[in-house]
Amino acid sequence: MNPREFDPSLFVKRGEEHPLSGTGLLELMQAVLGKGVPFRFQSKGLSMQPFIREGDVVTVSPLRGAGLRVGDVVAYAALEAERVVVHRVIGRNGRDLLIKGDGNAGADGLIAETQILGRVTRVERDGRKVHLGLGPERWLIARLARSGLLWSYLLPAWQRFCSRTGGPQA
Amino acid sequence: MEAKADLDSAYVPSEDVVAREIEGELIIVPLAAGIGDVEDEIYTLNETGRAIWGRLNGSKSLRQVAQELGAEYDSPTEQLEKDVLGFVKELLRRRMLVESPRV
Repeated sequence: MNPREFDPSLFVKRGEEHPLSGTGLLELMQAVLGKGVPFRFQSKGLSMQPFIREGDVVTVSPLRGAGLRVGDVVAYAALEAERVVVHRVIGRNGRDLLIKGDGNAGADGLIAETQILGRVTRVERDGRKVHLGLGPERWLIARLARSGLLWSYLLPAWQRFCSRTGGPQA
Repeated sequence: MEAKADLDSAYVPSEDVVAREIEGELIIVPLAAGIGDVEDEIYTLNETGRAIWGRLNGSKSLRQVAQELGAEYDSPTEQLEKDVLGFVKELLRRRMLVESPRV
C-alpha cells in the first residue's frame, strides 16, 4: 500500500516557469512537429543576434516536404549535445546544409537534412512580430554571413548604430 | 462549466495534446490553435495524477481505474472513484481527454 495521500493534481505552468533542458526541449519539439503542428518556444542564447535575441519567442514549423533555401532559419538536432540549435542555412553541399549562427564567427559545419526539425516561420519580441531576418532579405543575410562580412563588419556597425539611436531594432 | 464524465465510461488522451515523460515529469503540451505552445501554457501532473493518466488508455472504465489504484493506495474505493472522476472532469474541461467509444 502507498501511505501517501491520493490527491491527483494538475499544474498549469507558463514556459518561463518551467525551463526545459536541451534534451527535454528537443523531445517535445520532435513530438509536436511530428504531428504536423508548429512549435513555439522562448529562445536562449546569443548566436542569432541581432535577428533573434535571448528571450524572443520563436515559432518552428514542420517542413511538410517543402525544400529549404539558403537564408532560411532552421531548428536542427545537434546530435553530439542532444539539443536544439536554431541557426541559418548559408549554403548547400548535396543533401547537406551549411549552417551558421548570424552572431557567430564560424559556421556549425555541414548538417544532414535528416537532422532538420523545422523552419523558423515567426519571431516575436515583447509580443510583437520581428520583421527583419526571415523575409526576402534572408538570402542576402546568408551571403553576408558566409562571406564573413556580417560578423566582422556589419553586425558591429549595426549594434553601434542601435546603441546610439535606441533603434531601429532588428 | 463542469465537464460531464461517468465512472462506467473510458477516456483516452486527446489528439490535441502531446504528452511526454521528461526528466521524471509528465509534461503535456496542448496543441492550441494548431500550435504546440510551450511559451504559453504547459501542464504537469503530480504522481497520483500520472498514475491515473497512465491508465487512461480507452479500454478501462474509470471504475476499473479506481479499482486498480485501490490496490496501490490506502484509500477507500468510494473516495478513489470520486477523486478519479473529479480529476478526469478537470482534464476533460481542458480538452486533454476524450471519451473512448469502447469500454
